[in-house]
Amino acid sequence: MKKLILVCNLLLLALAASAQTGGIRAGVVDRMGRTPIAGASVELFRAGEKIAGQTTGEDGSFLFEKLEDGPYTLEVKNPEFNDAILHVNVEKGTIRDLVCVTMTLRNTMEEPDPVMFVDLDMTDAGYSDSPTILFGANDVYNNIAGYGFSSVRFKNRGYNSETQDVYLAGVKMNDALTGYSPFSLWSGLNEAMRSKESTVGLEPADYGVGGYNGTTNIAALPSSVRPGWRFSVLTNSALYRLRLMTNYASGVLDNGWSFAVNASARLGGNDWIKGVYYRSFALYAGAEKQFGDEHRLAFFAFATPGERGAQNASTQEVYDLMGDNMYNSNWGYQNGKVRNSRVRKTFEPVVGLKYEFTPSTDLNVAATLLWRTGWNGYTAIDFYDAMDPRPDYYRNLPSYFYMDDSDYNRENPEKAAWATEMWSQHIPAYYNYQHLNWDRLYNVNYNNADRRSKYALEERHVDQNDINMALTAKWRINDLISLSGGMTGKINRTENYKKIDDLLGGQYYLNVDQFAERDFASNEAFIQNDLDYFFANGTAEKIQTGGRYGYDYLAQVRKLGAWASGRFQLDNFTVTAAMTAGYEAMWREGRMRKGLFAGLDDDGNEIWYQGTKLTAYDAKGRVISSKGKSEVAQFFTCAFKAGAEYAWRGGHRIAANVGIFSDAPTFKQAFISARTRNTLVDGLKNTETASADLTYQFTRSGYNVRLTGFYTGIWNQTDVISFYDDSQQSFTNFAMTNINQRHMGIELGVKVPLFVQGLSLSGVLSLGEYIYTSTPHVVQTIDNSSEIVRDEDVTYWQRTPVFKSYINESGRKEYERDLDGNFVVDHYQKHYIPSTPQLASQIALNYRTRSYWFFEINGQYMQNSYLSMNPLYRTESANKGSESNPEIIEYMTAQEKFDPAFLLNASMGKSWYIKRKYSIGFSMEVKNILNNRDVKTGGYEQTRLISSDKKDRYYKFYPKYFYMCGANYMLNIYFRF
Amino acid sequence: MKKVFFAGLSLLLLAVSCQSLKEEFEPVFTEIYPSAEAYHRYSEAEALAQSGAARVTSIRDLVARYNGASLKINDNLLISGIVSSTDQPGNFYKSFYIQDETGGIEIKIGKNGLYNDYPRGLRVYVSCKGLQLGMYGGKNADVGMVQLGFVDPTGEYETSYIESSLLVDDHIWRGEMEGAVQPAVLGANDLPGSTDTQASNRNVGRLVTIKGLEYGWYDTRYKEDNEVFALLYLSLTSDKKVSSNRLFISDSSAKTHVTTWAMSKTKMTSLLLAGYWDEFYIGNGNDYNYGQVGDWKYKGFPDRKTKLYSYPGVDRQAASVSHYFSTPEKVCVQIRTSGYAKFSDTEINPAILAKEKTIDATGILTMYQGKIQLSLNSLDDIVVNK
Repeated sequence: MKKLILVCNLLLLALAASAQTGGIRAGVVDRMGRTPIAGASVELFRAGEKIAGQTTGEDGSFLFEKLEDGPYTLEVKNPEFNDAILHVNVEKGTIRDLVCVTMTLRNTMEEPDPVMFVDLDMTDAGYSDSPTILFGANDVYNNIAGYGFSSVRFKNRGYNSETQDVYLAGVKMNDALTGYSPFSLWSGLNEAMRSKESTVGLEPADYGVGGYNGTTNIAALPSSVRPGWRFSVLTNSALYRLRLMTNYASGVLDNGWSFAVNASARLGGNDWIKGVYYRSFALYAGAEKQFGDEHRLAFFAFATPGERGAQNASTQEVYDLMGDNMYNSNWGYQNGKVRNSRVRKTFEPVVGLKYEFTPSTDLNVAATLLWRTGWNGYTAIDFYDAMDPRPDYYRNLPSYFYMDDSDYNRENPEKAAWATEMWSQHIPAYYNYQHLNWDRLYNVNYNNADRRSKYALEERHVDQNDINMALTAKWRINDLISLSGGMTGKINRTENYKKIDDLLGGQYYLNVDQFAERDFASNEAFIQNDLDYFFANGTAEKIQTGGRYGYDYLAQVRKLGAWASGRFQLDNFTVTAAMTAGYEAMWREGRMRKGLFAGLDDDGNEIWYQGTKLTAYDAKGRVISSKGKSEVAQFFTCAFKAGAEYAWRGGHRIAANVGIFSDAPTFKQAFISARTRNTLVDGLKNTETASADLTYQFTRSGYNVRLTGFYTGIWNQTDVISFYDDSQQSFTNFAMTNINQRHMGIELGVKVPLFVQGLSLSGVLSLGEYIYTSTPHVVQTIDNSSEIVRDEDVTYWQRTPVFKSYINESGRKEYERDLDGNFVVDHYQKHYIPSTPQLASQIALNYRTRSYWFFEINGQYMQNSYLSMNPLYRTESANKGSESNPEIIEYMTAQEKFDPAFLLNASMGKSWYIKRKYSIGFSMEVKNILNNRDVKTGGYEQTRLISSDKKDRYYKFYPKYFYMCGANYMLNIYFRF
Repeated sequence: MKKVFFAGLSLLLLAVSCQSLKEEFEPVFTEIYPSAEAYHRYSEAEALAQSGAARVTSIRDLVARYNGASLKINDNLLISGIVSSTDQPGNFYKSFYIQDETGGIEIKIGKNGLYNDYPRGLRVYVSCKGLQLGMYGGKNADVGMVQLGFVDPTGEYETSYIESSLLVDDHIWRGEMEGAVQPAVLGANDLPGSTDTQASNRNVGRLVTIKGLEYGWYDTRYKEDNEVFALLYLSLTSDKKVSSNRLFISDSSAKTHVTTWAMSKTKMTSLLLAGYWDEFYIGNGNDYNYGQVGDWKYKGFPDRKTKLYSYPGVDRQAASVSHYFSTPEKVCVQIRTSGYAKFSDTEINPAILAKEKTIDATGILTMYQGKIQLSLNSLDDIVVNK
């Protein structure tokens, strides 16, 4: 049975000086230390028959001469190393110099796996669940930035998660509605998804053109799973207590079949965030058959059913009162048991079928059909005409009763003292104030007339049916030119609705819109979430557990694309070019007629109730409808990439890439309020991006240096933000258009071997400036009205003006005015892309022994991380009063910068190889050894305003933050054979 | 050495597994949540013991302590009463009334959806120590209502809402459900005068029924008919006390076109946009210096062509409305309804407006600047006489 196949440096082939007969030459080296391997057996095969054999010399080299033109197979073997098999073409009678063939130690220890923490997804903690960069073998920068920086939520080059293209078996998996990389679909299947190939930045891949933030293709095929049995137990203190995992892969059997199974369970809570827990399982199974040399058919299926409790952000006031920056307001005690109100429950199986046709070593054609289905629910407390149940609701906090500045109109210190007492005394009598009071919710429901639930647990569903097709062809025309191309198609039909998960002791929940009820008391029809039911039955529906209510619509997305890329390689010079063109269409299909946006009836007539017309029209005279099919938004997309690379002897490489992209907005960005109606955001445009990078790399004898500079401009982005607006007393939507960004910076990765064998020093630096560069426009609408309540520029989105000021004689700050009486701007303060350090660095000391121990200690320093901005605070209307007091603008529009952070981490591991068959080992990592608990990793500003005492200006609400947890460990023990 | 290492490792694994299984099956993860612990219900004896009071004080005695200025209760005083109002239909907001045999009083809790926790018919005990008595709606000699709330350091009002959760739970205790309060049917002599408070007239602050009310009231002092009164604000986010921000819609129901019990935001918007109020003046009655509503139709509006909004300077808002009624003895009774009440946009029976029919109305009897007001719990409290 063939072991791990490793093909190295095929693309760095250099043609040796011509001779009268052909040949193959190379040096065999140890991948870890790059030291020569003497005594390795090298066997040469032609058409399946062994024609020659050698043993490498002291310098690890070998040479086969007098070979005819044609394809050969080399098998390199050494008892201590995994076998290496290479396919080599001899042409035109020349000797091919492979330079080096690297071999990996047969029983290397398992290092902390870069993908280990990938499944520690934090979607529900306000983050995307993607790792920073998926992978980057042999690239010290990517290895560290991809894994080591994930705890501070580092975003590579400041890009959003959706810019990272993630493929599975050749199919692009980014979420059809949001663009996010859906890592949670396979979290817990680390072994099955281990094999992957990736590109960095703008580099094109041969399975797709990709974007400007790298691409990754996870093989996901049974034949690519590491053969053998493997069992592992992992425990960590940051998210879940226990992970059990088992994996079996057959490798390619003699009969051409390959099988693989991977299963895991992630269970338990953690030491830092109460209420956060996992009860997640994962299963992968696949079978693959090789038919002769040309055909290969693979089938695989996987799913990660389970549930996990989520974390919530709170204000610093709450954290300080609780004395804990990891406080989580989502849970409360019920009969002494911790119960989390926000639980994500998922079961999203993915089934794939891949066929590959390889008629020759130069041509490969693959077709993949992939189907994602199942459901994805997320619970939350819904309540009707009752007190807000959240313990950290702002009216429960001391700051609601008293602020030092009397202009906040919060002037009751006695009430504040009561609230402080309630929050700061951590005794059982007060637990129900500091956490969710489940008992109260049940009591309210028990005591309500006919047991109508006033509080219920809703489950918001986003259930996708996503069918993908990908056709890919790779053709190596000759040594100089290779071409790739393909076609892709996607049909996505997603059900969006919510249902009752738990009536919390009540008998039913009434399907009406309470926000509408307040403003539309005049007509019962207006408040109906399901007007058709109301017309048929004369009353709103009483929803039982499992019943859908509130909203119910289909998101429909269709995508069709074609792409092509070419690579031209001459000696050490390589040129690549790639382009893609596509068509995307999306629309909404409402399945529940909401009273507020009744639209037209099935016959196209206006709808009336009790003499009142329910049908409403927008400013352009179009019917606003919640039911039926919306207008279809259509977009043509395209991208073009080009790159050049030159490598010269001695391990030097220089590469440059450019790319332009025209991408469609996502479904989430296209509708102003998909929950309630069919209305598209006005003025939807493609997002345009231009990007370039330049890289210098040096790799030799264990030295590894990469320096990259990049520059990216992004134009015409759209975003829709939904929030509760106090001034409207309703749920509202901010549709922002014309958001531009600029990302520029450098990446540096260095690895240097030190004086002791196995000891090395590595360091990385990511230094960038990621900023907003435009003044977006915002249109605000209310969920319960067709009226546009705000239509203005977000004047201070891009920057905050800082005005010239001086201290007057009485010690007060005064602002300078020009001759016209206007305040004078001293300078502008830029606004930055939030929630990632714009300077991230690490220095690490690694030590590996030949007896399979490894140790690492590293220090990380991060700075220039910023809080996510709320557009409301950057509008002119929120800056009321600034005409006479420019301090208001400085206060209201400034962006919060987080404190720098220093983290110390260490890891170690060891593996034992028993009887040349069994391998047992462990790896352990301790992160944040200094127990730094003040590192903000993200957060957001609340979209709420406090009106001043004289109503002449506004103040901001406190922002909410997420913090990194303190010292935590991860221990992984494995056994494999 | 190796054996020791593996033994240690195994022990560690075992410990971790046990811990995770403990978490798995014990507190955090079970999906079977037992019934919640029911509310604690206080008995009178328990409430007395907890408050330290020797006996339950009557509401009248409590109110009698009020002497023209806000008053903090510093002694152990316990009152008890049955909840007589509900905020469910939205006509009461953030507070409820309790009543005993001697009178009724508003408890200014300061939270929404109170009927969920303090339904009508529930006995409530109030430990008054630390709370504050104060009057709302009094003007000179004309009285308003004495309320029980908390201190307001700004002095803007005599009391503020109790509001802070621990403060509320430390002072307001739930007793047993004792059934809905039966309204007292008032005769002409039972109605309060302009200086009566809960201390001098036991009906004030209690649930009452007044029969035979006819729409409209003729003010003999100013010699004018009164039917409708509503106060609106041009800007909800500006100072509501400034005259230039105030708009009084006060006249007959025919002239104001206000024929509903109150105005929701939608109703107010429709009447405004219809132009019915164009000739009403902005400002207090003695200060009509800010033009008329009609002046705002396009004022300051950037683009007349689109006409997305009319009256851009007038915020859309829900508005409370007082409708004037007269008893058979021609005593004025205002039925005041909140614009947030669910029945606010319900049309008043035209026969009532046309004075062809009288009504019997049940509600909490309150005083505002010496005037009698009735606040309905719901529209079921109005009975139209044949």
